[in-house]
Amino acid sequence: MGNMLRIGPVLIWLAVSLPTQADTSPDTSELHLDPAWLTLIHYQPDTFGDGYTSQADDPAFFLSENGKQSPKAELEATLTAIRKPGKGDDHARCQFPARTTWLQQELNLSLPEISCPGYQEWSETLNTETVTLVFAASYLNSPSSMFGHTFLRLDPPQDDNETNLLLANTISYAADAAAHDSELLFAYKGIFGGYPGITTVQPYYEKIRLYSDIEHRDLWEYKLNLTQEEVDLMIAHAWEIRDRNFDYYFFDENCAYRLLALIDIARPGTDLLGEVSTHAIPSDTVRWVVDKNLVSEVHYRPSAATSVAYSLSTLPDEQQTLAAAIANGYVDADADEVSTLSAKQRAHVLDATYDYVRYKSEADGWPREIAAPLSHDLLRERSQINNVSPPEGPPEPVVRDDQGHDTFRLSLGAGQQAHREFTQLTLRPAYHDVLDPPAGYRTGAQLQFLRLDARLYTDNNELQLEQLTGVEIRSLSPRNAFFSPLSWQGGVGGRRTDTGNDRVLTPYLEGGAGGSWSLGHQTQAFAIATADLEIDDDLRRGYDAAPGADIGLLHQNNRFSLLAGAKTKAWIVSSQHRQDQLYAKANWHIGREFSLFAEFTREDHYDRYQSLWQAGLHAYF
Amino acid sequence: MKKLIAGAILLGASSMAFAQPGCGVGAMIWKGQSGIAPHVLAATTNGTFGNQTFGMTTGTLGCQTNQSVQSMAMYMDSNIDKVARDMSRGSGENLDTLAVLLGVDEADRDAFRKVLQDNFATIFPSSDTTSGEAVDAIVALLEQNESLSKYVAA
Repeated sequence: MGNMLRIGPVLIWLAVSLPTQADTSPDTSELHLDPAWLTLIHYQPDTFGDGYTSQADDPAFFLSENGKQSPKAELEATLTAIRKPGKGDDHARCQFPARTTWLQQELNLSLPEISCPGYQEWSETLNTETVTLVFAASYLNSPSSMFGHTFLRLDPPQDDNETNLLLANTISYAADAAAHDSELLFAYKGIFGGYPGITTVQPYYEKIRLYSDIEHRDLWEYKLNLTQEEVDLMIAHAWEIRDRNFDYYFFDENCAYRLLALIDIARPGTDLLGEVSTHAIPSDTVRWVVDKNLVSEVHYRPSAATSVAYSLSTLPDEQQTLAAAIANGYVDADADEVSTLSAKQRAHVLDATYDYVRYKSEADGWPREIAAPLSHDLLRERSQINNVSPPEGPPEPVVRDDQGHDTFRLSLGAGQQAHREFTQLTLRPAYHDVLDPPAGYRTGAQLQFLRLDARLYTDNNELQLEQLTGVEIRSLSPRNAFFSPLSWQGGVGGRRTDTGNDRVLTPYLEGGAGGSWSLGHQTQAFAIATADLEIDDDLRRGYDAAPGADIGLLHQNNRFSLLAGAKTKAWIVSSQHRQDQLYAKANWHIGREFSLFAEFTREDHYDRYQSLWQAGLHAYF
Repeated sequence: MKKLIAGAILLGASSMAFAQPGCGVGAMIWKGQSGIAPHVLAATTNGTFGNQTFGMTTGTLGCQTNQSVQSMAMYMDSNIDKVARDMSRGSGENLDTLAVLLGVDEADRDAFRKVLQDNFATIFPSSDTTSGEAVDAIVALLEQNESLSKYVAA
């Protein structure tokens, strides 16, 4: 029961109340510019001018009327407020325990003892000894989850058998989006502001249920090496911002950003926020935390989907068939085919089948009338087999998500298009394409943002924008006897299109859906039906549309990635010509920092053949 | 310690707020239209939960005076499928969590796991069993067990 003795930060700041000159005002002329103070009030330097503005969007977070813009006014107001007589939860010291702790340490303030029942109960209940940063990885068929998500887990002392991490609390920061907002409004407000961001505390098992069971995302747990004092300061600050609004922005001031601020406060001088430029991708923020030596241990928690796929794959072939037959209702859980197996085999078949039925209920909405009686039969049969432990879970991936290639890519290449030579520069701020080094990323998944391809044609020194990709998503996930995901793709941006006598820059929208099938460990074949739309006044009728198909092969390994296939598009509105392509693209990976790339495309369009080839180097930062 | 764990669980139900410990907490939580579900739904971002194999509590549990039994009931309510799975296997972290919530000593854990596995069909007589009924059955089983009855004493 050692943890009962620890009542968190309350004691810390009482303990540091050194009896020094209580009533003389210490020199605070420069203190408001101390990085620790600026971090505590979430000040950021103004883009224009030399002032500061706090990112907190809630008047109750400030003690001074000018607090949002004035670190100095806020510091003075805080110093006055914490020295006021009074007691109870409404006192500034109870509302702002982290600020109080810091000011007391900096200024050797002597303050009378005060009790803060609300804060004390809160920190006692959170009962935190260590803090773990949890990263919810992306799931294969959900590229929108690719950026990942992070939250903090508050781990209780691990000194007796009464502690259990499933019951530990977590702190997360999320957009408080109204449920009735449409997806478009959701995206708009997310990017340009408009949603309040709120901090929530939930038990870890709720998070596991959401991410691991419902969203099929593996969780990576990074235990931070914060000291007890640093942990207490973080908890104290979490109390200060618990009901306070910080406007939420998807790209920078997002879930991951606010957690970085909490870590910065816990360990002053860490300056994780200094790493954020235009965007804070959760997986990148995990890299920064690892790079700043804040992590002592990493633990992998596979999602329900990862676990069931693995346990099915470890069954011998005939037992896989049996599991599929039970799950689909062709064979009963207590049929002869099952009961003749050895106890261990029977247990593993029943375990894998139950997990599979549960997965299908969650992911594909198997109706309860079918899934519930079947699940009950499986569990009842399983409960009669004693002393067989469940099979080993999936192995931890050799390369973690934070150890994959960096997401900003710069490429330089040279090539030839229809006998015109060019050099090409490509900037891609985020994130990954299927030809990039695959380690740490989901196989067959691609998500690119704001990619810019510029070409300099060497014959006449003409600089051309070749393509501007707003967003491009691709998800190739193989189907098998148990899982039948849809492979799909979509993209929007501007690109050069061939009008027959010129290549003009035109806005485009493209999409597709189909299937993919595994051909051995790292290779898959795919067939996608596609649709393209281009809108430009250089097109005869102002726009053109093309149904089409894309059939190919994808191979990904840590040394080499290859994408090759055939595409056809039938432009049916303006040009009324078919466009057929054979393409091959390959990357050779040199560590995770560089790849050499080469591509070749042979095209038949407007009754003529043209070739494109290009080769060069990708560098990842 | 048990009180703290109970508090930690209840914390999830209402974001940052704390419920008061004691019998009233259970009453308050169960009083909702369909148990804890609305709280849980409100606390997640996508708001949809998949099909549960077993039902959530129907609110029949009433006011259990044993604080740890209440904590177990709340945990079962949101994790019933996983608890049932671990119970059928006689091992697993969700079963360990039940043991922690009931305060079962390390020495009694094997007996605890065995009782629950052996009596799976008693605890979950059908696929319509609710988590509340399963909790009642677990309490009844433990009460009959010499070494485990102390953990569910009111």
